[in-house]
Amino acid sequence: MLIINNLTKTFGEKVAVDNLSLHIRPGEIYGFIGHNGAGKTTTLRSVVGIQSFDSGEILIDGKSIKEQPTECKKMLAYIPDNPDLYDFMTGNKYLNFISDIFGIDTGERKDLIQKYAGIFELTSDLGQPIASYSHGMKQKLAVISAWIHNPKLVIMDEPFVGLDPKSSHTLKEMMREKCDGGGAIFFSTHVLEVAEKLCDKVAIISHGKLVRSGTMDEVRGDESLEQVFLELEADNA
Amino acid sequence: MLKILIKKQMAELFRSYVYDPKRNRTRSKAGTVAMLVLFGFLMIVVIGGMFTAMSLAICPALYMAGMNWLYFDLIGLIAVLMGVLGSVFTTFSSLYLAKDNDLLLSMPIPVKYIVAARLTSVYLMGLLYSGVVLIPAVIVYWATTPFSVMSVVGCVVYVLVITLLVFVLSCLLGWVVAKISVKLKNKSFITVILSLAFIALYYVLYFNAQTLIGQLVENAAVYGEKIKGAAYPVYLFGRIGEGYWPSLLIFAVFTALLLAIMWIILKRTFLSIAISTSAVSKKKTDLRQVSRKSVFSALLGKEFSKFVSSPNYMLNCGLGSVMLPALGILALIKGRDLADLIYSGEVQMSIGTVAVLVITGICWIMSAIDTTAPSVSLEGRTLWVLQSLPVNPKSVLDAKISMQLILTFPPLVFCSACCVAVMRPGWALSLLIFALPAAFALLLAVFGTWIGLKSPNLNWTNEIYPIKQSLPVFFSMFGGWICAGIIPLVSLLLLRNVMSCELSLLMLLCVILLTAAFLYAHLANKGAETFSKL
Repeated sequence: MLIINNLTKTFGEKVAVDNLSLHIRPGEIYGFIGHNGAGKTTTLRSVVGIQSFDSGEILIDGKSIKEQPTECKKMLAYIPDNPDLYDFMTGNKYLNFISDIFGIDTGERKDLIQKYAGIFELTSDLGQPIASYSHGMKQKLAVISAWIHNPKLVIMDEPFVGLDPKSSHTLKEMMREKCDGGGAIFFSTHVLEVAEKLCDKVAIISHGKLVRSGTMDEVRGDESLEQVFLELEADNA
Repeated sequence: MLKILIKKQMAELFRSYVYDPKRNRTRSKAGTVAMLVLFGFLMIVVIGGMFTAMSLAICPALYMAGMNWLYFDLIGLIAVLMGVLGSVFTTFSSLYLAKDNDLLLSMPIPVKYIVAARLTSVYLMGLLYSGVVLIPAVIVYWATTPFSVMSVVGCVVYVLVITLLVFVLSCLLGWVVAKISVKLKNKSFITVILSLAFIALYYVLYFNAQTLIGQLVENAAVYGEKIKGAAYPVYLFGRIGEGYWPSLLIFAVFTALLLAIMWIILKRTFLSIAISTSAVSKKKTDLRQVSRKSVFSALLGKEFSKFVSSPNYMLNCGLGSVMLPALGILALIKGRDLADLIYSGEVQMSIGTVAVLVITGICWIMSAIDTTAPSVSLEGRTLWVLQSLPVNPKSVLDAKISMQLILTFPPLVFCSACCVAVMRPGWALSLLIFALPAAFALLLAVFGTWIGLKSPNLNWTNEIYPIKQSLPVFFSMFGGWICAGIIPLVSLLLLRNVMSCELSLLMLLCVILLTAAFLYAHLANKGAETFSKL
């Protein structure tokens, strides 16, 4: 579903991502872990085509994000770490805007909006301007807008930040459901417990370099993910 | 405590001189000095110079007529208008909408200290706006009249009283605005309508002030006696500047009383207004109101949603949409007489020349519609939405261009139609009055998008920076004016003896269309690529 080959991105002299390669298959929830400034967000932004990169290749379902960006974007959804949405729209207007872009027909979108807004208890707030939303409400709206067009691949940067425990739980269930249906999810997180419980595979990045990746058992061995992460961090410091 | 708050308030007031909000970083020392010099030049030389000239025109005449009091009344009135108009909205925002209100109110700081600190900056703003009128006027008065200690004392008290009156009026109006604002629902449109009314009022006053003041000075004795008889306090007020002690005493006490009343009102109501939320009723979500749109319509709808949600955007970039029909109506009212004069041969001007001037005027006003110039920058932190969606960047840019054209064409057609109806030129000129401004509108829209992409500012802290104080907007508007100026230059000066106005205008039409087509082709390729890499 997602192949990242030798991705390298530099900002001036700083190497943000250094020759990173990953392969995410359909049905996988892939966690991306690293310290602040490790290169997680840069990688995720490169994958969704909103960050140019110096070298390497990113393929989504066999299509290059560089060569066929629009085709790739039709298959994916992105939720950034800070969901800055259109404050001047209402939640409902925003979801309809996204539906229009993805060509979802009227009846289907109505059902989908009702379904997901209901799940996240946002229905009564959809008529309000996004400017009046709390961070958590914006995050919920970003999640709904990502799920509404049924993407094959969902890229999320710290998706649980700002969500209440119930919504976090709902999102985890939705992630699993998406992958059970043949989709794939690639997301970054600082919450190692979440990664440990939720992810099929995990990649640890430090100073732009991939230091370990694989299934949860392969990565952590007999230790906890936290211990492994701290040890790797100490080695790479 | 109060000292610390005032210090913070001053740092905020002068922040723009040391901090560059467009680039989100501190200015260099040279940049700070340049900003201060520029500000000083604008306030002292440009605006101060204007009021010095005005004072020099009034003061000697009224002094000779023995009506110094009328001079001080006139200057006082102008200073109060300048000060209040200049600072009323600042008062509202700095008192009630300050970003640190929540922070300060959550700390153990008495509310009266917060109010007092905020009021310090309000007073300084009023002092600034009224000072540019008062200080030159007082200097001119001292230079014109013989020296006396009482006139010095009187003028000092006069300046103090006027600035305090400005302060009180600004605060009270700011309080009224705040009270209304808490209850308003459609703030964007009401703000735009009120602002347009203010602009109209300003221009009416500006264009009539010279005549009114001239009449007043010419008939000073008559008007003076009338004012003295009908409004004695006005006469007494004017005598403060002369150092007439009963006036000094009465108005010092009066101003102190006003200050006290204003302080009590603000202190008592500040907290309730500052922590209130607007009376926006919670709209019921209606998921049935859904209609499927094409990608382009969705993008265009998004552009319009942004436009109508922002009074700043509407006022600064869409003013031409109101001015064009106004020009058309003005042509209908006033233009008929001019057209009759031309056709009767009383005015030595060909109809071709008039057509060129009309086209220039329309294009000049149309330059005030420049929504495309800040549009890319306005995406700001939400740029990721469009970039991560499966839309062709060219469609995004097309939507921005289309919005400007939609805002331009209907008022433009109306305005052109009015001008044609009044002028009754031949069919060729009539067509050109429609076609050339339309081509110009196209060029402006494409140029605005191009320049907006060339110099985007995506890290703004307040949308006013890309809308009002950005290079793309500057180049788009002034570039439009300059280009409009080229039309008469080419048609009436350079090619006057070579070809007819019709032909030169047709040539210009082709040049404008070709330039717009070239720029658009560039935008469609390179521009779209630039947008996707922002």
